[in-house]
Amino acid sequence: MKAVAPAAVVFVCAGLAPLVVHDAFLLDSLVLILIWGSAAAAWNVAGGYAGQISLGHSAFFGIGAYAAGLVVTRWELSPWLGLAVGALVAMAIGLVVGYLSNRLRGPYFVLATIAFSQVLLIVGSRWRGFTSGSEGIPVPFRPGFWTLGIADKRVWVWITLALAVLAYLLQLYLDRSRRGYQLVAVREDEDAALSLGVPARWLKVAAICASAALTAACGALWAQYIGFVDPFYVFSVDLSVKFALAAIIGGLGTALGPFLGAALITTVETYLRAQFGGIGTRLIGIYLIVYGCALIVMVRWVPHGLVGWIGERLRRRVTARAET
Amino acid sequence: MTVLPQLIVSTLLLGGIYALIAVGLTLTFGVMRVVNFAHGEFLMLGMYLALFAFARLHFDPYVTLVLSLPISFAVGWASYRGVMRPIVHASHNVQVFTTVGLSIALQNLALVLWTADARFLRTDYYAVVVRIGGAAFNVAQIVAFALAVALTAGLFAFMRWSYIGKVMRATAQDRDASALMGIDTDRVYAITWAVGIACVGAAGVLLAPIYPVYPTAGLQFVLIAYVAVVLGGLGDMAGALIAALAVAAVEVAGSYTIGTAWKEVLYLLLFIGILVVRPAGLFGQRGAEALGT
Repeated sequence: MKAVAPAAVVFVCAGLAPLVVHDAFLLDSLVLILIWGSAAAAWNVAGGYAGQISLGHSAFFGIGAYAAGLVVTRWELSPWLGLAVGALVAMAIGLVVGYLSNRLRGPYFVLATIAFSQVLLIVGSRWRGFTSGSEGIPVPFRPGFWTLGIADKRVWVWITLALAVLAYLLQLYLDRSRRGYQLVAVREDEDAALSLGVPARWLKVAAICASAALTAACGALWAQYIGFVDPFYVFSVDLSVKFALAAIIGGLGTALGPFLGAALITTVETYLRAQFGGIGTRLIGIYLIVYGCALIVMVRWVPHGLVGWIGERLRRRVTARAET
Repeated sequence: MTVLPQLIVSTLLLGGIYALIAVGLTLTFGVMRVVNFAHGEFLMLGMYLALFAFARLHFDPYVTLVLSLPISFAVGWASYRGVMRPIVHASHNVQVFTTVGLSIALQNLALVLWTADARFLRTDYYAVVVRIGGAAFNVAQIVAFALAVALTAGLFAFMRWSYIGKVMRATAQDRDASALMGIDTDRVYAITWAVGIACVGAAGVLLAPIYPVYPTAGLQFVLIAYVAVVLGGLGDMAGALIAALAVAAVEVAGSYTIGTAWKEVLYLLLFIGILVVRPAGLFGQRGAEALGT
């Protein structure tokens, strides 16, 4: 699925939605879908295109969230600066992580990334002097665009849409460029790619860096939007799984897939929370049970995700028509 | 150094239980080439089993231990049939996501059924402490250690001398050749998976009287087990045993010197260090990590 038209329709609809829809709940859902979709797309750059399956990407999300939160609360600077700082720090850490874990494949890479996010979880929740420890950081609301204190959810839709389009364009670049083809070759068979002179090591590190920076940007915007940074949430393995799940449901290594996946899981999550949340907090885990089962079912029966599945249907219809 | 005997004793007691968790994990990897990311959740289920057997039926945890072996073996067998069987020969990514999915589903099932509250299993002999020389022993810990060592030794004997154990080792060495020799590899995988879960379930029962029980209780122990398993060389049971003691030593020394709050960082960094420097582990073959086997 390399056609841009479906994606263009999706993003234009998302951009026009605030002009038509005024319901705060729907706009809120749209903002979250765009943030999670961008994070899933960022994960997809490393996990889908480069085949570097990470379950520690919440580390980068958390770095972004903390950078934005700390820059605002400690130095009273603009969260936009926090976003830039978070993205740069995440990129630098992505460089180190990507370089060090370069020769690890399969479950070894997964284990290394999980361990890494756990280290950050402990640092975030125990380093009281700097991160305020396990209490987390309440991000103050200061009105204005420069301080990202925006009450109007329509503006938030446009801000997060810009991020989503950026994430989409990065993936589109990988879909169409020489570098992108090389990256896919490395994913499919690293030794064969190396023997053809593809700079496999460098490409994998670059993919992780780009993915890390983008994930951190999502974290920074999320922190400003929600207004609170909780170390046990932003560094959790569940969050990493969420990014991966959205990409897998939508379609690994497809540009539009992560956004479709994020739309689906955010909707299901909101619905289940509304359905069962009222009964008692103990049912809060219900959507995670659905996540877990969805993961098992998807990788077994729909390994190419929704985009792959829809593409297959369309192709079948076209060939059926050609035969008649 | 008057604390040295105490540190050594603590290391041994901790290491014995870590070993039981780690051998189950490494066995599954060695035979099936699957890293079970849901290992910790089966530990948690074992802990809840001991807790409820004690609270509702007034079973002593050490009675539950005997019952837990067939129960967790059955649970393991069922989870193999239901979840693992179709993906044993699938790619690593599919295997990783399947066991991660299983882990999340089980963890949150426990959360929904039994809430996030930490619960405690308090036996009469919970606080009994024995003093020998300069070291103090908690009785529950000693019993847990002794039983864990007995179970681990039993598993080693089973792998070495029983017919099924030999078949499992043969499958670990070469699954195609074993299949050609008439070994039903599907059955071997089912048994391996179930034995791995029986080990970790039993470990859960042993840990329940010592540590609080809650839905994510498995995570902290299984992270340690991963460290031990990778350090010992994935799939190497004797290696896992030695590595479990080494990790326990690092943890005990870390708690003593830098405090319990930061000790986890110590072994996680150790873990990342091993993965980066020598991912094949202390005794494993070089290059295994790059082959992705």
